[in-house]
Amino acid sequence: MRTLTEPFKIKMVEPLKVTTEDFRKEALKAAGYNTFLLRSSDVFIDFLTDSGTGAMSDKQWAGMMMGDESYAGAKSWEHLERVVKELTGMPYILPTHQGRAAERILYGILGGKNKVFISNTHFDTTRANIEFTGASAIDIIYDEAKDPEIDLPFKGNINLEKLNELIIHHGKENVAAVIITVTNNSSGGQPVSMANVKELRKICNTYNIPLVIDGCRVAENAYFIKHREEGYINKSCEEIAKEMLRLGDAFIMSAKKDGMVNMGGLLTVKDEALSVKCKNLLIISEGFTTYGGLSGRDMEALAIGLTEVFDEDYLHYRIRSTAYLGEKLRNKGIPVVWPIGGHAVYIDAKQLYKNIPINQYPGQALVCDLYIKGGIRAVEVGSLMFGKYDDKGELIPATNELVRLAIPRRVYTQSHIDYVLDIFDDILKLKNQTQGYKITYEPPFLRHFTARLDKL
Amino acid sequence: MKTLKKRSWAEPYKMKMVELLKMTTKQQRIKAIKEAGYNTFLLKSEDVYIDLLTDSGTNSMSDRQWSAFMTGDEAYAGSKSYYLLENAIQKYYGYKYVVPTHQGRAAENILSQILIKKGDIIPGNMYFTTTRLHQELAGGKFEDVIIDEAHDPLNEHPFKGNIDINKLDKLVKKHGAKKIPYVCLATNVNLAGGQPVSMANLKELRAYTKKHGIRIIHDMTRVAENAYFIQQREKGYDKKSIKDIVKEICSHTDGATMSAKKDALVNIGGFLAINDWDVFEEARNLVVVYEGLHTYGGLAGRDMEAIAVGIAESLDDNHQHARVGQVEYLGHKMMEYNIPIVKPIGGHGIFVDAKAFLPHLTQDQFPAQVLAAELYIDSGVRTMERGIVSAGRKANGENYYPKLELVRFTIPRRVYTQAHMDVIAESAAAVYEKRKTIKGLKMVYEPKYLRFFQAKFEKL
Repeated sequence: MRTLTEPFKIKMVEPLKVTTEDFRKEALKAAGYNTFLLRSSDVFIDFLTDSGTGAMSDKQWAGMMMGDESYAGAKSWEHLERVVKELTGMPYILPTHQGRAAERILYGILGGKNKVFISNTHFDTTRANIEFTGASAIDIIYDEAKDPEIDLPFKGNINLEKLNELIIHHGKENVAAVIITVTNNSSGGQPVSMANVKELRKICNTYNIPLVIDGCRVAENAYFIKHREEGYINKSCEEIAKEMLRLGDAFIMSAKKDGMVNMGGLLTVKDEALSVKCKNLLIISEGFTTYGGLSGRDMEALAIGLTEVFDEDYLHYRIRSTAYLGEKLRNKGIPVVWPIGGHAVYIDAKQLYKNIPINQYPGQALVCDLYIKGGIRAVEVGSLMFGKYDDKGELIPATNELVRLAIPRRVYTQSHIDYVLDIFDDILKLKNQTQGYKITYEPPFLRHFTARLDKL
Repeated sequence: MKTLKKRSWAEPYKMKMVELLKMTTKQQRIKAIKEAGYNTFLLKSEDVYIDLLTDSGTNSMSDRQWSAFMTGDEAYAGSKSYYLLENAIQKYYGYKYVVPTHQGRAAENILSQILIKKGDIIPGNMYFTTTRLHQELAGGKFEDVIIDEAHDPLNEHPFKGNIDINKLDKLVKKHGAKKIPYVCLATNVNLAGGQPVSMANLKELRAYTKKHGIRIIHDMTRVAENAYFIQQREKGYDKKSIKDIVKEICSHTDGATMSAKKDALVNIGGFLAINDWDVFEEARNLVVVYEGLHTYGGLAGRDMEAIAVGIAESLDDNHQHARVGQVEYLGHKMMEYNIPIVKPIGGHGIFVDAKAFLPHLTQDQFPAQVLAAELYIDSGVRTMERGIVSAGRKANGENYYPKLELVRFTIPRRVYTQAHMDVIAESAAAVYEKRKTIKGLKMVYEPKYLRFFQAKFEKL
């Protein structure tokens, strides 16, 4: 296979600190064996998230300089509004400081006690926002998509048969909305097919239920459709994304992903009455309707980022560079979620660290080893993040014990990735010696952010 | 009061980058304001020549802030920019624990949810739109305990932001201290006209609240401007630096919410600071739901860097002297033209008394709203109504009728020059000349919350 060409060169760099294994052992101990609590300056390769960690282009930086910081009616807002209207085809555009604020506003209005939201998979903050309103959140993907090994093109698809059953079971008037997340982050960054969303639209029409597209990675999803779904190979990724977004009644985006910026979010809706309610809430907690808690320069950078992300060469580079890491890991014998998704590689820690029982958090053990061996910061997506306790205080484990290596956009070079691959050779040597962990402190909710652990 | 000579406030900076402005004709402006429903909030900023809508987030950053901006660390967790910000807040303000938020109202939202229970009373020195709304949404009720002088635009009390301890004591006696989770103390009270609180008043308030076990939460968005007035006006403080005075103010309070878009010289950002670990822990959990992880709270790393540098710059004596000096320069010019303004001149803007400017209009005809529109038509200067439209409605649907019906000329920091100030004063004078011909407005669209932002009007 030939080397992947990157459609850019480096214009600004950020120096990194190179640390020793002894230094990292101390740093990790001080952070309570929780990588969220590490200082970022002690991290060499930061795969904690692809959210807000991307590198902006020189054009975006130039846009930052042109940002109009007026409180009301700024030029930068008009620019962003124009770009987003064209992308979504929706008439009402609301900027927010980031995606979760858009969720809180929309789901706060649609939700409430006894309401149900149905999604392919709710992300953790999405679920928190929905449950906060008194509503419940139900995830429905196809059963085979839950198997990390099975090779299917659209493992992010929502289970349409299940959806029909659920709507009938709960009563259509109690279903607040159906949320389709593209790509499906929580199931390994797996794409959703256009056919699936079209069918979903029909069901929503039948029952008159609003369809929300959570599209923070809508461009990456479009790339998968282009290359995997029949009839799309000759369409541009931008055309595909536009086609998909026009199927929704509302669109939510954390712009920190495919918006190619470090801060920002969007909420767009078709319905005027709904838009008025959303704007009222926006002003209370975010900011005035023409800035929504963003600086003018951030809106300018986002308007440009939303154009750059649809560059076909960029998307090819983006998806293929993630696959490069994933495929090479698989060739080494590291169990990864297959096929490789758009923004991250997910490792099956239960398979890799078979000697560590689930209640000793094998995923977290791998996260710790990656940091100690290579200064690589990853995140556990398993029982530390999603585990709960039963009445006797025993751990109710999550479905999978995964470790996510999320790749920031346009930040790391191929030699960084090759370095990561080398570190995994060390991990393979360690795999039967590594010990598990126990939790020594945890807050009442979203514990993974601030919990502290100790070696067993 | 001594008049400031022009040379005394020469700015301690020069221009390093400029932003070009579009010049418009009167015809274009008449059309634009009509389309905006006579609401200056709804104007496009490119149709505005001098934008005095707000001093919030409209500042110009220094070259040092821009360089810090470039070194912002965008890591999701444990960003070095967070530690820089935390360190600046601890060092200059003295608060122990810090939770960043995307702007000030987000900090108010989180704080109100943690501290206020249904039926609680929150005394404060004059309402502010978003602050009061968050208190009400959390189930509390705001009670104004500012001194009476604050409601009289002509009273020249040097500290019109002071709290009337007797009013507070009445509330405590009536409701009991347990119903009062905290006193909301704003420094340099915005809606009173940018009027300061004295250190003596604050000390008295501290002694009183200590006795009753009530917290003081400091709305500190313009604390440095307040400190400047203490330095200029209060006995025993003329030799102290603004830096020391600010730290002393904060030391008499238990926590703070801040919109960094004012004093701290940035375009976006805010934080919640608190000395109480338990409140901090709750805030750290809540901020994840509303804003972002507690080490970024909805801000880019570079924005946290710029705030850290901006806080230090805002406490420079020369900076505040030029800042308030410019505002006073504009105020004195207006007084020369006999324009009725709130006295003494405040820290962040000039507040024109619309009732005195347009005595032939009733408050229901929105005198401040129409005056702001007329000023825009005359010269492209954008100001803001702070009167009956901003005050909104009570829970029972009745309009609040605030005593003050003002047009606010807010001056962004380090943005406009002396020539701009002259243009503004001359424009106000031109509108004053023709004041008797100005007719009122009627409201044709009213949103549910914070109506001043989006309401639309037509000429009577």
